[in-house]
Amino acid sequence: MPSPAAIPEPIETPVLRFAAHNFEPLPSGALYWRTRQTLLVADLHFEKMASFARRGQMLPPYDTAMTLARLETDLRRTGATRLIALGDSFHRPDSAALLTPADRMRLDAITEAVECIWLSGNHDPMPHAIGGTCLPELELDGLVLTHEPRKGQTGLVAGHLHPAARLAMDGRTTRKPCFVHDNRLLILPAYGSSTGALNILSSAFFGLFNWSALEVVMLGRDRTYPVPVKRLVGG
Amino acid sequence: MPILSAHLPSVITDWFTKRGWAPRQHQLDVLASYQSGASQLLIAPTGAGKTLAGFLPTLTDLADGRFQGLHTLYISPLKALAVDVERNLSTPISQMGLPITVEARTGDTPASKRARQRVRPPHVLLTTPEQLALLISHPQAELMFGSLRRVVLDELHALVTSKRGDLLALGLARLVKLAPDVQITALSATVARPDLLRDWIAQPHPDRQTDLLHMTGGAPPELRILETEERLPWAGHSAVYAHRELYQTIQRHRTTLLFVNTRSQAEMLFQGLWDINEAMLPIALHHGSLSVEQRRKVEAAMTTGKLKAVVCTSTLDLGIDWGDVDLVVQVGAPKGSSRMLQRIGRANHRLDDPSRALLVPSNRFEVLECEAAVEAVAEGHQDSEDPHPGGYDVLAQHVLGMACADPFRADDLYAEVTRAWPYRDLTRQKFDRVLDFVATGGYALRAYERYARLKLTPDGLWRIANPQVAQQYRLNIGTIIEEPMVRVRLVRARGLKQGRTTGPIGMGGRVLGEMEEYFFGTLSLGDTFMFGGEIVAFEGMKDNEAFVSRAFSKDPKIPSYMGGKFPLSTYLAERVRRIMDSPGEWGKLPDQVADWLRLQRDLSVMPARDSLLVETFPRGSNNFMVCYPFEGRLAHQTLGMLLTRRLERMRARPLGFVASEYALAIWGLGDLSALIRTGRLSLDELFSEDMLGDDLEAWLDESALMKRTFRNCAIISGLIERRHPGKEKSGRQITMSSDIIYDVLYQHEPDHILIEATRHDAARGLLDIERLGQMLSRIRHHIVHKPLHQVSPLAVPILLDIGKEPVFGEARESAMADAAAELIQEAMGER
Repeated sequence: MPSPAAIPEPIETPVLRFAAHNFEPLPSGALYWRTRQTLLVADLHFEKMASFARRGQMLPPYDTAMTLARLETDLRRTGATRLIALGDSFHRPDSAALLTPADRMRLDAITEAVECIWLSGNHDPMPHAIGGTCLPELELDGLVLTHEPRKGQTGLVAGHLHPAARLAMDGRTTRKPCFVHDNRLLILPAYGSSTGALNILSSAFFGLFNWSALEVVMLGRDRTYPVPVKRLVGG
Repeated sequence: MPILSAHLPSVITDWFTKRGWAPRQHQLDVLASYQSGASQLLIAPTGAGKTLAGFLPTLTDLADGRFQGLHTLYISPLKALAVDVERNLSTPISQMGLPITVEARTGDTPASKRARQRVRPPHVLLTTPEQLALLISHPQAELMFGSLRRVVLDELHALVTSKRGDLLALGLARLVKLAPDVQITALSATVARPDLLRDWIAQPHPDRQTDLLHMTGGAPPELRILETEERLPWAGHSAVYAHRELYQTIQRHRTTLLFVNTRSQAEMLFQGLWDINEAMLPIALHHGSLSVEQRRKVEAAMTTGKLKAVVCTSTLDLGIDWGDVDLVVQVGAPKGSSRMLQRIGRANHRLDDPSRALLVPSNRFEVLECEAAVEAVAEGHQDSEDPHPGGYDVLAQHVLGMACADPFRADDLYAEVTRAWPYRDLTRQKFDRVLDFVATGGYALRAYERYARLKLTPDGLWRIANPQVAQQYRLNIGTIIEEPMVRVRLVRARGLKQGRTTGPIGMGGRVLGEMEEYFFGTLSLGDTFMFGGEIVAFEGMKDNEAFVSRAFSKDPKIPSYMGGKFPLSTYLAERVRRIMDSPGEWGKLPDQVADWLRLQRDLSVMPARDSLLVETFPRGSNNFMVCYPFEGRLAHQTLGMLLTRRLERMRARPLGFVASEYALAIWGLGDLSALIRTGRLSLDELFSEDMLGDDLEAWLDESALMKRTFRNCAIISGLIERRHPGKEKSGRQITMSSDIIYDVLYQHEPDHILIEATRHDAARGLLDIERLGQMLSRIRHHIVHKPLHQVSPLAVPILLDIGKEPVFGEARESAMADAAAELIQEAMGER
């Protein structure tokens, strides 16, 4: 029988301290706010693959179910009572209406079990008929939760950019989605199973962060890892 | 050989007589075979009137000027060849005064001319497999091809081992349906299994006779290995030691063609020759990353005899004949005897003079490989790859194309595609799954019926759902998938210190060319490498561009070798093992190499022919395990991945590995010699074939190589588009999304037809599981373990590769853990 890996890693969740609040960055890409029992997720992009199918590209219709499974696990493990989705929850404005019956039932079970707040994003700017509350933006305990990051506001928590980092260690590199913040702006990685990711050294991130205060937490298999910024490379 | 006589019209015999020529025997053989109603495969070395052999039947048929419509379709792997044949054919046609129209059709042909060719085709159309696929996907294909009498396939050996060959075979099956009288003439270089190639062209019309013709005569090639005065390097691929001797060789010949295996080797050699080019000889560079204009310029200069030498990669393996090349040089491993013979054939196209070639090994193992190649060539042994079963991805593309041409019955199309040789054993069940994939994606979850691309009509016909489907098909046609490339732009150096990107880089420099994107994933800012004949420093990346500045260093830090495209052939590997195992033969090797082997015999043991030598020894703070399977880099990489996983489970604490064509070295913290001695680690178990079961499965789940293979299948099969009407999708975007699609699909439907297609490709291609499996079964219970106190002579080359070659591997969890630990230490003020 296979024995466990030679060097056992203690599974621990680092603490991400942002704007005087403590968060737990989870390896799924969710951010858990324990004192508020709130799970924050960004960019679910439900029904992204199906939206390609209608243009003739028959991508596998399983991404929504995968994202839902991830969400169910995170809610169960954390015991969160509230879910806040930071926009782009649905890949197209009409995606909510086109969910398969099975996926719709699972999503309804979530919205019935916990309080859901759906912030709007550029992919889903209008309110939809899924349970919970649809809002453009939300202020909470001195934080501003929103979809698109912007400069010049403190305590802004956003998504939209799908951040990833490429880490160079021992002559090799590892690229994973990441949380990134400078204590004024925090950007969550994309949570959806069908989403790609953009290196935080690419031009889309220019000018958003105060580089000297930057903290980066990369997603691993079973835990997340805060990593030194000087180890990061482009690409 | 059929004993038939050929009938030539007088206008053609007069033309030969007037020039004091006579048709060659193989040209008459082809004509006689054709006139007897047969198809035929002509095996002949490059050059020597092969074009005329292919077209003599056409000239004969058309000499009286009575034929209307398209008579002959010529298909070659290169559009340059199609254009060149157009030129070569026009000369005799006009000299004979024959009323024959000849036109090429490539991607460069103007749209208006292409449209006209469909309605009013020339007598002879010269084109590529991709253009054929496009032509038969039009509803009027029957009009165009109804009159067709001949198909001429050039350089067939180069097509049949690739997916382009699959596409061509499917196209032929359709052509034979459109024009039942068509006869096929195929031209091929010498291959290991000519009978398979004959079957390949016979499959579409099994009732027709198909002859196998060999061109006889011709002088055998003269092949020798460079005898150097210099010290032969232990490792590396640059052959710097030989630059001076090569330069002198170039001076002594009219025109020299220098082949290397990779682009970076081409760069190094080109740079090296120019460093010592006191006589300012015109020496040029030709490889796939240079811009098309640059390459055309080199080719034109070559044709007009203006160049003394060209350093090139496989980009010049095929192509236009250059009569003036009197020497071919192979720098680095020859990889296979057939490959070598075809490259040698690029020299001296006059049949009765021998082609001359010089082999230049770039390290000691390659000396053995070159020796093996010389022996194999002397014996005329062929080790070319056989054609293989067709890919489901290509079949999916073809099925969609056929629906674009006309609505079809599944029974009919199934019968038709099994007349394509690569699909002759395709089961109906597999065909139906491919058809289902084309229609709605073929998923167990029937979510996409409403978006179906193909719809089944009540009378049992499959037809495309709307005209956009045909439009999308035409934009995604073909099986050649480019690696995601980035533009390399020259900028002013920013005086980089150790540090990070903080702002945008100055724009507006000159574009030097393109390079594979994954290469830049391995670079740090400031790293130097060679590109376009100069040493440059990496300055950063932005979107689809990599910025570099001129570097003022002599040695590039990153050799960017990345291995060649082709692994060492099984046949040459077997010969190399035999030479090593036969001390009696060492006398013919250079003294340095023979001494090296003797030293290995004294200090360790020689790898024997039918066993696997595994050495273990400590070095520095690590313990090494080096084995010598000689199965090529790809199979060794896969073996390395799987062994490291197993060693980790066995608590041997592996850290990394590096693979070469000949050997694999793994290092780690555990004392491997002690683990084996005490029986805690069994080599028989470690190397047992069952690693190709669960371990392989677990690894494939996350393997980047598997994802790269999947990406190709996804594009070819039309699952993802290579471009949209109007806007080219960048390679980068495709890579990202295809990785995600793979993850989603593999987790939910691991037996989906496209995952199956990917597995087939990976087994032969990037993972070379097929060859690894053969090796593991060959060495079962034949492992020789030699514990040592220090590195063995044979292990030196692969150990020297560590740090130069990319240490191969997947994204590592431990890298992030180490980085996190470093951050904590930093925070605690420990460094």
